[in-house]
Amino acid sequence: MPRERDDVFSIRDILDSQLETSDQRKIGRVADIEAEWRGENLYLTSLLVGPQALAKRINGPLHALLRALFRDRFDSAIPMRDVKEFGPTLQLRRKASEYPIGRSDRWIADHLLRWIPGSGHR
Amino acid sequence: MLVVALLCTGCQFVQSAFANTAGNAGAALAAASTTLTYAHSGKITDAYAASSFINFQSELDGLDQKLPSTQGAPSGHAIQRLLDLYKTAIRAVDAPCLTASCDWRGQVAALDRASKAFLEASNS
Amino acid sequence: MKTLLSIALGVVTAIGGFLDAGTVATAGEAGAKFGLGLVWAILLSTVAIVLLVEMTGRFAAVSKKTYASAIRENFGIKFYLLPLASEVIAESILLTAEIGGMAIAISLITGISWHVLFPVAVLLVFASAWRAPFSWIENGPALLGLVTLSFIAGIVALGGPQRDLLPTLWQPPIQQGGMADYLYLIAATLGATISPYMLYFYSSGAREEGWSTRSLLLNRVTAIVGMGFGCIGSLAIVLLSAMVLRPLNMTANTLGEIGLAMAKAFGPVGAMLFAIALFATCFGAALEVVLAVSYNIAQGFGWEWSEDKKPVEAARFNLVIILFLLVAVLISLLGIDPLQLALFASTVIALFLPISLFPFLVLMNDRQYLGDKINGRLINIAMLCILFIAFVVAIVSLPLEIVSGGG
Repeated sequence: MPRERDDVFSIRDILDSQLETSDQRKIGRVADIEAEWRGENLYLTSLLVGPQALAKRINGPLHALLRALFRDRFDSAIPMRDVKEFGPTLQLRRKASEYPIGRSDRWIADHLLRWIPGSGHR
Repeated sequence: MLVVALLCTGCQFVQSAFANTAGNAGAALAAASTTLTYAHSGKITDAYAASSFINFQSELDGLDQKLPSTQGAPSGHAIQRLLDLYKTAIRAVDAPCLTASCDWRGQVAALDRASKAFLEASNS
Repeated sequence: MKTLLSIALGVVTAIGGFLDAGTVATAGEAGAKFGLGLVWAILLSTVAIVLLVEMTGRFAAVSKKTYASAIRENFGIKFYLLPLASEVIAESILLTAEIGGMAIAISLITGISWHVLFPVAVLLVFASAWRAPFSWIENGPALLGLVTLSFIAGIVALGGPQRDLLPTLWQPPIQQGGMADYLYLIAATLGATISPYMLYFYSSGAREEGWSTRSLLLNRVTAIVGMGFGCIGSLAIVLLSAMVLRPLNMTANTLGEIGLAMAKAFGPVGAMLFAIALFATCFGAALEVVLAVSYNIAQGFGWEWSEDKKPVEAARFNLVIILFLLVAVLISLLGIDPLQLALFASTVIALFLPISLFPFLVLMNDRQYLGDKINGRLINIAMLCILFIAFVVAIVSLPLEIVSGGG
């Protein structure tokens, strides 16, 4: 694929990138990034996923609304050290079931889709 | 501003609402007539005709309520004639005769008369 | 031999993608109302969609990304929401129209009211999207849609177009006050043919089938031949309507009327061929539309997606499919005739084309995604012109159509 990358990644590159777990499951995209100053350098500490983090990038009032509705239930942070590989897709070290957001597909399958015949639910 | 400009050029671009409605009604009546004729000349099945008429009913039902108050509608004798022709024709649309035992030719004639009148009204 | 088969399948799919409730509706009305006066719009749209399909295949094959993924990654979430919103709105209406077209087709064969058959059609679409593998979805309905080519036989059987029909090619018979209608049909024709849902569907399909740079020539051939055949089918409907419906003062306000032309040529067999063609093309399109939006959302938000996975393996993706079909059911409760809904949806699509396609044009010129396979200048200019025409016509005709009380 015709894309050259340095080792320095801009925040813009990481934002909106696809997240893939160690068991090859796509669980979502990077909604936002948490960073902190240590001395003179800015360190990226975690990747934020979830509707509230996304809303914050879109629109202030929307973010406030979703925070009131969801109360952080669907948002989570993935520590930067969990990223095994950087690229157009960020490869994570652990399996899908070990991330809260990786469990959404499972939840929908277990609670909603199972009642429909042919869903493949065991 | 753009809307005003559009509406002004729209004066020649658009028909009156009455002409539009009458034109559509005339076309629908023509379609009903052709469908009925085709059904009896074996060109389409009864199923095809029956389901076509369901759609014509949706198109034409309630027109006698709507038409007189449509913008651009004529009054007096002209509109009354249209409504009379409509009353006869709509009976055919609501209960098309698909067997040989009823007067399907009469229905076709009524549909044709109404169609012609509505189309003429929309062009005048 | 295998390449020939691939080409054949690609062509078949392209025909199916071209013809749907929208193109049947616009072609039918165009012929009945304006004779051959809208043929130019159909030809122009065909050129546009050939370019678009070729570009979509090229993009997916070379960049290995789908359209929705590329928008989100390249432009960010805020910008991604704009084409997403326009797609969801436009395709909801179109999906309802396609399923309505299926219901009407079945009703023409069985005589049962299409309102009753609508949920049946929804279930059929759902069952296919739920369990059928991608290859079936892509090829199944399309193969059945080849029946459309029988329309050409119909034209021959009726003795071809009358002599006085030919001048309408360059002199459309627009009566006093008919200009609004004419413009509305131009917009609808453009929107019905240049369908952004195809972008999302084909780029996802190319990923489902693992296309690479080796597939580029195949892609080009199937785009041209397939869309060309689809165009011929559409022109056949225009001709049939112009030859049979127009002299009898019909304006093809309902889908069943369009079939009467085939009935005149071949009797009940002809009418049946029309109903089957209508069913197959609407069915294929309904599947493509519902999947296109679901692909768009799943890829944009980074969820699992694929028609070759079991539903529980891509739960959020399949949930969106279900929700979208429910939206179609809700819209259908308004009881709007599917042909009129198809026309309306197509015009809305034409209006939104700049939003839907502009990101694509930008991406097609991005070397990061395409290397040296980016667009040539001519293609860019051609696409910009067509986008401009579609938008202008739509924005002029929609208010006019509403002001005049609807078509």
